[in-house]
Amino acid sequence: MNIPNPLNRPSMEQSSRRAFLGTATSGLTLAFFLPEVSRIDELNAAPVGTTVNAWLQIGADESITLTVGSSEMGQGSFSGLAQVLAEDLMVDYAKVQTVQGGPTLATIAPIGTSINTVGSSVIRTNFWKMRDAAAGAREMLVQAAMQLAGDAVRTNFTVANGVVAHKPDAKTWTYGALAAAASKLAMPASAPLVPDTQFRLIGKTMPRFDIPHKVNGSAVYGIDVRLPNMVYAVIKHAPSFGGTLAKAPAAPSGYMVIPTKVVAGTNRGLEAVGNVNAVAVVGPNTWDTWQRARSLNVTWNLPANAASLNTAQFLADAQALAKNATPYAAGAPNGPGTLYTVEGDATAANSAIAAAAKVVDATYSLPYVSHACMEVLNCTVDYVAGVKCEVWAPTQSAKAVLSLVATLMPALQPSQITVHTTYLGGGLGRKAEVDFVSQALQVAMVVGKPVKLMWPREEDFTHDQYRPMALVHARAGLTASGQVMGWSYRNISPSILAQRGVPLGPKGDSQGYEGSQDLPYAFGTGLTEYVTHPSQIPVGFWRSVGASINTFAVESMVDELAVAAGMDSYQFRRSLLTDPRWIAVLDAVATLSGWNSAAASGHFRGIAIGTAFNSIVAEVVEISNVTSTGFTVSKVSIAMDCYLAVNPGQIEAQLTGGMVHGLNAALYGKQTFVNGAAQAKNFSKSRMIRPSEMPQVAVTLVPNPTVSDRTKAIGGAGELGVPTLAPALANAYYRATKNRVRALPFFPNATMGD
Amino acid sequence: MTLTLNVNGKPSTVTVSDGSMPLLWVLRDLLGLTGTKYGCGIEICGACTVLVDGQPEKSCDMDVSSAVGRRIVTIEGLSANSSHPAQVAWIANQVPQCGYCQSGMLMSVAGAMQAGHHGASIMGEVNNLCVCGTYPRIKAACSKL
Repeated sequence: MNIPNPLNRPSMEQSSRRAFLGTATSGLTLAFFLPEVSRIDELNAAPVGTTVNAWLQIGADESITLTVGSSEMGQGSFSGLAQVLAEDLMVDYAKVQTVQGGPTLATIAPIGTSINTVGSSVIRTNFWKMRDAAAGAREMLVQAAMQLAGDAVRTNFTVANGVVAHKPDAKTWTYGALAAAASKLAMPASAPLVPDTQFRLIGKTMPRFDIPHKVNGSAVYGIDVRLPNMVYAVIKHAPSFGGTLAKAPAAPSGYMVIPTKVVAGTNRGLEAVGNVNAVAVVGPNTWDTWQRARSLNVTWNLPANAASLNTAQFLADAQALAKNATPYAAGAPNGPGTLYTVEGDATAANSAIAAAAKVVDATYSLPYVSHACMEVLNCTVDYVAGVKCEVWAPTQSAKAVLSLVATLMPALQPSQITVHTTYLGGGLGRKAEVDFVSQALQVAMVVGKPVKLMWPREEDFTHDQYRPMALVHARAGLTASGQVMGWSYRNISPSILAQRGVPLGPKGDSQGYEGSQDLPYAFGTGLTEYVTHPSQIPVGFWRSVGASINTFAVESMVDELAVAAGMDSYQFRRSLLTDPRWIAVLDAVATLSGWNSAAASGHFRGIAIGTAFNSIVAEVVEISNVTSTGFTVSKVSIAMDCYLAVNPGQIEAQLTGGMVHGLNAALYGKQTFVNGAAQAKNFSKSRMIRPSEMPQVAVTLVPNPTVSDRTKAIGGAGELGVPTLAPALANAYYRATKNRVRALPFFPNATMGD
Repeated sequence: MTLTLNVNGKPSTVTVSDGSMPLLWVLRDLLGLTGTKYGCGIEICGACTVLVDGQPEKSCDMDVSSAVGRRIVTIEGLSANSSHPAQVAWIANQVPQCGYCQSGMLMSVAGAMQAGHHGASIMGEVNNLCVCGTYPRIKAACSKL
């Protein structure tokens, strides 16, 4: 079982031809399209046509190979897909080889051109497609056996473990023996799926294929790619966003200095198309090249408005927009500072709140936060003018890489362009961007040799596309008996989609208001507004993005209402919920955390619930050792309903990981700016929790349906641990101290040393 | 300058521009041992941890010249076939997620074991960063070592 390291993999051209020829010797090949449902679809609405992005090969040698175009960044979805496939193909899970496929623009592309790995989407959007394809392949193999047996009665045949048996004469055929004959048959329009009651794999914790490679150093991440005659490039950006090269510096002896610019598709805010915002120093190895880059004396032009590009100004701008913003109007320019009504009616909400016996009014703020993937951004390119361009990248968006190559190298034919997706040392949304790829391509076009471009950690922190800052102003009214009778919520935040040139409709940026609309609570009259903050610091997708911002504000505010109503935080939420799924998740986390029994002396609990990517999740955070300078996060309990769990052990790992991501951000995460230059340049100023700071974690999945229903949405897992952590922590802290933390992070001045 | 290092039990000769190149980059770029990872470059994260004379050391800030004459073990040399008890425990407990930090994590654990730690006391010696939050499974894996 193996995800081959990229250098050992046959080229996509070879694989795809073999796949599609479907000759008698190559066995059965099925090409099928796995759809994507993701936020990046909003950016790339182009239809994918007849291309496919996953395919299955059953070889005459009994091999079963599933080629997947999405990215493996730790979420385990490759193995999850294989698990689903093996169920309905009725084969041993351990026999499925999962291969990382890359896209090509050539029409024969088996992997297709539409590949993004975002939105906790791989399993939830591919589950039924994968099952249908596997069941279809299985029935083609059975049909081949039926022809060989001369028996057209399907019920005379059984399938188990990749072997078709003909009951009347006790004959058996392996899939390998049937594959060639099956390849000449048509795929049935519909094939019966394995009934839920007979699941061997779906819903079971199965080991991941990639893990053995990750304990012995053999897994190849982007930064590990090595090519013959390769040179090394190290990037050095203008310190300030919007800064540009004033004068090309002289190259140190034996090195090259190559200015790189912002190309179309990678421009974000201040980083405008055509800006020469970086230089790449090229040399014989990483270290020597990096030292030359460090000491290189480069003169940069500051952006015209540099003096106003600072954190205090951004906050002041947000505070002004909390009071006064220009409403969206169809046909108007609707520039930064526009007020969008996501749902509800301002007049009705205001009058409901005005009539309330008690009003709670609170303002929450969240900073820009870096991604800080453990693997810094990097990309390797082998470009030979007029001949080929091969790209190896730890990318969440092979499709965007492919489009970028085609744009920058228009002379190449589609068949001359290949993208290899490597393992990702974390993605977190940052590696859905392709700015770093564009730099490697630009350098490769100059140096005429294979080149690996890397960003030193300091560049990775200071030229990120950050989780947006936000200021949220919330108000709500309570009756004398503690019932909510009006809710008003305004989030002021820079728009991720607007920075990508996506026109915003009357509701604004779906990434910005995610998690603040369609709230499950019986609030009476509600209003949700979103205002585009004018800051042009680059922002981007970040594990759970908008849900991480809004769930903090919504669930902190709900907790404040519970306090104002004099009610228990859990019971208050429960009294406002109506959907049985939400109630079940809330009850599950309460049970798991022991909410109804008193916490140990000196321990305090907080609760929060929310939704993202079709899953409902709740967390209870328990803290202890609370002093004026800090506290210990002792335990986090997590309950989730994702409708259907393919691999519970892997979901537990993802929820734990998401929770830690949320915890790092809530405690320490922030990026600040002076003259447009990011101030936290390494982990020393952007602390993350160490092993000794890890809370105890308990996870429970709210039981699956007894019979899965394809009309119901399956939920994601990868990002779900994040959103409820911060509010549950703030709510616990309030119980301990009666201080309400409304501005994240908890410890803005934390540092970290060896 | 040409230096001879003892890496994973074998002599390895490298040519560097000067002896201040960190061991990390010698391993990765000059010897092709890419299992040892660059994370922060300032000895905070531990992704670059290797064993030097049996002690866990952060190779990102160790001059290669100071590694001459010492026994260097990288993740590639921890065992011939992923059979080190920590590697076995890592697979059994399905520890890695993205996996990028795990080479350094395993070398820290292996160093603690060599120093005589076992079970829960290993965790007291391991301070590496994992942004994926695999700590509970690391703890579970170490508890039986």
